[in-house]
Amino acid sequence: MSDGVVFLNQHLLWPVVLIGLLLFVVFVWKEWSQRKERRFWVKFVAAFSAIVSLVMIVLKPSTHQEATRGKAIILTEGYRPAQLDSLTAIYKRIPMEEYTKGRTLSILEDADSLFLLGHGLVPFDLWQIQDKSVAFLGGKKVGGWTAISSNRNEAILGESLEINAKYSNPKIGHLAVLTDNGGNPLDSVPFEELGEQVVTFRTTPKVSGEFVYHLLVKNEDGVLSDEPLPLKVVAGEPLKVLLINTFPTFETKYLKNFLTERGHEVLARTQLTKGKYKFEYFNGASNPIYGFTSENLKDYDLLIIDTDSYTGLGRASKAAMEEIVESNGLGVFIQPNESLFRLGDSNSPFKFNRDFLTEITFGELEQTLQKYPFTFQEEVRTQEVLVDSAAVAAYVPVQMGKVGTTLLQNTYQLVLDGNEPLYAHIWTQILNSMAKEQQNVAEWSSITKYPRPDQPFEFELYTALNDLTVKTDEGEAISLLQDDLMTHKWTGTQYPRKTGWNQLQVSHDSIAPFSYFVYGRDQLQSITKSETLKANYRAFGKTSSFAASVSATKKELVPISPLWFYIVLLLCMGWLWLEPKLVD
Amino acid sequence: MIGAGDIKQFQRRWQQTMYVEAVFYAVGFGGLVYLLTHNLFYGIIGVAIAAVIAVFVLKPWNISSENAVAYIDAHLPQAGYSSGLLLSPAHELSNLSKLQQYLIAEQLQPVLSKLRPPHNLLRATLAMFGLILLGLAGSFILDKVESPLNATPSNKEQITFAPKDSLSATLKIPELTGTSITVEYPNYTKKAPLNTTDPNIKAVQGSRIVWNLKFEGRVKEVEMDLMGERISFTEKKTGYRLSKTLEASGFYSFTFKDADGNDYVSNLYSLEMVTDEPPMVQIEGLDNYSYFEFDDDKRLMLNTNISDDFGIADAYIVATVSRGSGESVKFREETLSFDNAIPKGEKLLQLKKQLDLDALKMEPGDELYFYVEALDQKAPSPNIARSETYFAVIRDTITDAFAVEGNLGVDLMPDYFRSQRQLIIDTEKLIADRPNISEKDFKFRSNELGFDQKQLRLKYGQFMGDETEMQAAPGQVSSTEEGDTEEHSGEEGEEDLLDGYSHKHDNENEHNLVEEHDHENEGQVEEEDPLHDYLHNHSDPEESTLFEKSLKAKLRDALNIMWDAELYLRLYEPEKSLPHQYDALKIIQDIKNSARIYVHRIGFDPPPIKEENRLSGDIEDITNFDKQEAYAYQMSFASTREAISRLEVLIKNESSFSDTDSALFVDAGNELAQKAISEPLKYLKVLQGLRDLEKAVNRTEENYRMVQKNLLSVLPQVDDNPMKKAKYQDEINLLYLKELYIYE
Repeated sequence: MSDGVVFLNQHLLWPVVLIGLLLFVVFVWKEWSQRKERRFWVKFVAAFSAIVSLVMIVLKPSTHQEATRGKAIILTEGYRPAQLDSLTAIYKRIPMEEYTKGRTLSILEDADSLFLLGHGLVPFDLWQIQDKSVAFLGGKKVGGWTAISSNRNEAILGESLEINAKYSNPKIGHLAVLTDNGGNPLDSVPFEELGEQVVTFRTTPKVSGEFVYHLLVKNEDGVLSDEPLPLKVVAGEPLKVLLINTFPTFETKYLKNFLTERGHEVLARTQLTKGKYKFEYFNGASNPIYGFTSENLKDYDLLIIDTDSYTGLGRASKAAMEEIVESNGLGVFIQPNESLFRLGDSNSPFKFNRDFLTEITFGELEQTLQKYPFTFQEEVRTQEVLVDSAAVAAYVPVQMGKVGTTLLQNTYQLVLDGNEPLYAHIWTQILNSMAKEQQNVAEWSSITKYPRPDQPFEFELYTALNDLTVKTDEGEAISLLQDDLMTHKWTGTQYPRKTGWNQLQVSHDSIAPFSYFVYGRDQLQSITKSETLKANYRAFGKTSSFAASVSATKKELVPISPLWFYIVLLLCMGWLWLEPKLVD
Repeated sequence: MIGAGDIKQFQRRWQQTMYVEAVFYAVGFGGLVYLLTHNLFYGIIGVAIAAVIAVFVLKPWNISSENAVAYIDAHLPQAGYSSGLLLSPAHELSNLSKLQQYLIAEQLQPVLSKLRPPHNLLRATLAMFGLILLGLAGSFILDKVESPLNATPSNKEQITFAPKDSLSATLKIPELTGTSITVEYPNYTKKAPLNTTDPNIKAVQGSRIVWNLKFEGRVKEVEMDLMGERISFTEKKTGYRLSKTLEASGFYSFTFKDADGNDYVSNLYSLEMVTDEPPMVQIEGLDNYSYFEFDDDKRLMLNTNISDDFGIADAYIVATVSRGSGESVKFREETLSFDNAIPKGEKLLQLKKQLDLDALKMEPGDELYFYVEALDQKAPSPNIARSETYFAVIRDTITDAFAVEGNLGVDLMPDYFRSQRQLIIDTEKLIADRPNISEKDFKFRSNELGFDQKQLRLKYGQFMGDETEMQAAPGQVSSTEEGDTEEHSGEEGEEDLLDGYSHKHDNENEHNLVEEHDHENEGQVEEEDPLHDYLHNHSDPEESTLFEKSLKAKLRDALNIMWDAELYLRLYEPEKSLPHQYDALKIIQDIKNSARIYVHRIGFDPPPIKEENRLSGDIEDITNFDKQEAYAYQMSFASTREAISRLEVLIKNESSFSDTDSALFVDAGNELAQKAISEPLKYLKVLQGLRDLEKAVNRTEENYRMVQKNLLSVLPQVDDNPMKKAKYQDEINLLYLKELYIYE
């Protein structure tokens, strides 16, 4: 009470007071004739009290009081009835309310300590009970798929894709199957009797586009569940390659053939003699290159250079190359020879250990290949390139670009042996890891992992561009929120209408539209449940008791019950009504 | 006879009712038969038979007037049990009877026509309908049962056309009224021509296929689309006709235009070519190798089974006799026919032939190679098959052993240099066997190995010129009593009998293996060859020393180690012996390898380089070399992949089917057709699905899905190809990478 009285309808204070005064003045004027008598003063007081009561009824005075509201139970989906029973046994007549997604909880007005049972509130409803003391007791264990993730946001055509999924309560004899959009099985994993099993599917997309793969659970009788797995497959672009050699080798020749036949733009330069070169322009390459400058290098995605050329680079060329690697992301692949492995730290970015092995074996057909008798020394920056889980090459990231080399030699032997697919596989792995990555102007990512129709879908957009307008499929604009610290980060919320693929478009032509998949209400229920569960655990912790401090320090405005004012009003009015009759 | 006519009429009505009843039964049964057989003729026969039977059972002619009278009396009270009177002639009756007759006639007149004779018409009708229902049910069940058997041909056997574009319903679509396909197999197959309506054809290579299509309504430009190749039908009186010789598997479809120029296209059908298999030749009861001694009965019985899918044209034996060996070998080839004549065109033949080696003029040492060759009747070029090759050898009584030529550096080493390895293998085997064999056996074998080791050591010792102090090697005579020099004794190993009398340089233990010529030895030689002293010629490979000096020491080491190895073997401790054996083997290998170096001694002597002129060439005239080339690369099955993406868009109903789609699907179909030639049936469904999309009616989501699924299932993986990927570099990431680089 020490904080004094606060009117809840503070904004009505003056009009009400004025009206009250007016009423009082009218009353005094009406009774003015009796001013000499004693009863006038009694009436005067009664009328004043009545009018004050009226004013108070309207203004609703209230006082700060320590919250003294009780406990309540909120039931959400998946609560355990046994748990509810034991709670109601302890707290008799505890109020409870069943939670429906998106609806405001009415029970919150009367309770400040909440038992939250079940899987919890969906993340966008958490604000409702954010300032309450909540004991989150959890619910039934979620069975089925509880997490699905993939090694890439967007699958790349022809590159292997790995999908990890977690399944809760698997049954022996059941089988998880990944199928493509047509329903052809791609990979499968049998379940074991575990509490939770992580399964990994591997596949290589054959077609680019937006597809919905399927994750099936089967047993002998048929399909038990079928969940969609949206997948966007994009195709890469051909590379621009610069190939520098001091003298022609078979290795270079076959590598050159491989790249040119697959449509890459290749400029190959081989030294003929001092200052004279053989230039080969493939698939549209042009302009001979003598010394490197940042100008002539910047268009290339990959520089393949033999060790002798690399070590023999002039100071200016080397500086230009390094600059382009750092700032522009050029990939440099050094074709090794014996001397590369003996280079000092200042000349070579790699460190090697001798392992005395001169052969390496790949594949099911046991194809052996010659290698230099070295391995890469393990370092923080050195990233190994694995083919069949053998480190055949490595690269070192240099700011935006990469410098790499391989341990293999005479790989063209594979082509001669007729094993061209393996040759292509090895070189694709190696060159893919080093080639420059095209710079996108923007990147999208979704914060809401499993969007549903008519529920908020939050997304992020990273871009250096300004003045963005994001539009939905229906053509409605979505305003974006810029991050304070990271000015490149924008967030927005959209309420998708339809299930399946949806798109967000940006007014800038340079930014590709963002496709996201909206799941139907009955799809991936188990994942949503488990996500909700996780979000609630994050929000309320795992303790099942209330934070004592919350209920102790919390003070709330409690209006003084208007009943008192009504009684005063009634008594005063009664007196004013009765008094003339008594006198008469 | 008043009223008699009425009675007669009633009797007739009765009989008619019974006939109707019989007809109902007959129709019911006939209906049953017809419905079950679907054959009108059987149905009529059924009706007739049933009618006859029913009539005979019911016997309507048995209904006499007495029966009628009895029935009337029983059922009409008006008759007063006197209706019989009506039938009696009036003059036979008494007056009372006449009165009664008249009365009854009067009374019966109105009632009798209403009286219905006794009948079972309801029962007959029910029976008829019952039988017909039964027939319906029966034919339905039969259909169900037969459909799995007949469905495939009945569904597939017809060529169906559908318009390419949707047409207005009022338009009259030309109809295909008759299809006949004749497959004429090649003559030699002796198969009768096959007449079919099933357009999916499977026939032997070289078959002639004739398609005859008849249309109702006007059509023009009837064509066959065979894997993109368009072949026109020729118009005949009876319809359209096309004949073609089957040379390759593939797919085909028909197209035609109607009078208004609308295109129609049929489904896709497969054309599968079966190649004529070459004959199978099997020779029974004969080993691949047969050996004969000189005095054996040199005869071979050759039983051959030959089979072919369409008939054998000819079969014979090809025999080759080889005589001599090495460079002087001579071959003689003969073709022999079988004992029994070969009837042409048999599918299975059992042929016999007795091969007499003497008749082939074979001598000891000669070898006979023979095989059976069979031809089938395929025209123009027959398939030829041959059996495995069999060998028959007459053993030679004397054999020339192959001797190592002294001047061949590589073949220098005698075979037994390898036997140290054999000893190791045996020793290891002995160790492994030890738990399984008796103590005595083990010791025996260990001792045996020790003996072998000693022999080996002695043999190597001979090269060293060691004295063979033990009579170990079989056939070796001790030479201890001979006071000869070490070198001399080395030669004794094999040719001890001649030892005292000759000194052969080219005997097996070649003298030249010994490291150096001793002058003592020279002295010996002197006796045999007085000129030797003067002709001491080291350039003669026979005489030159092939071992370097250090080799002698090595061989000596090896011999010492062999001593140890033998010792442990003799002590029944093969485990301890093994390391020594390995050491010995290693040294012997070294010696062998060093001997090979001899080959490298002969080499190319390059002309000397003039140092002063080196690297001083004039390169001014050398210019840069430029070469420009372009390769058009397209991902494998690019159109197919694009088609799948496009189908996904169509499935989502985001856009409608357009002309470009049509072209895309045709491209995809052509790509797949290339691959499909080898396995037509696997791809038929996919190609058919793609083809179906050309027809407007088939452009439904379900079809899109099905085609997409099928395409995905046959599509191979993308080729490995490095590609540029897009990525967004955030400033924070860049900052991080930069920092990482600075503080590496």
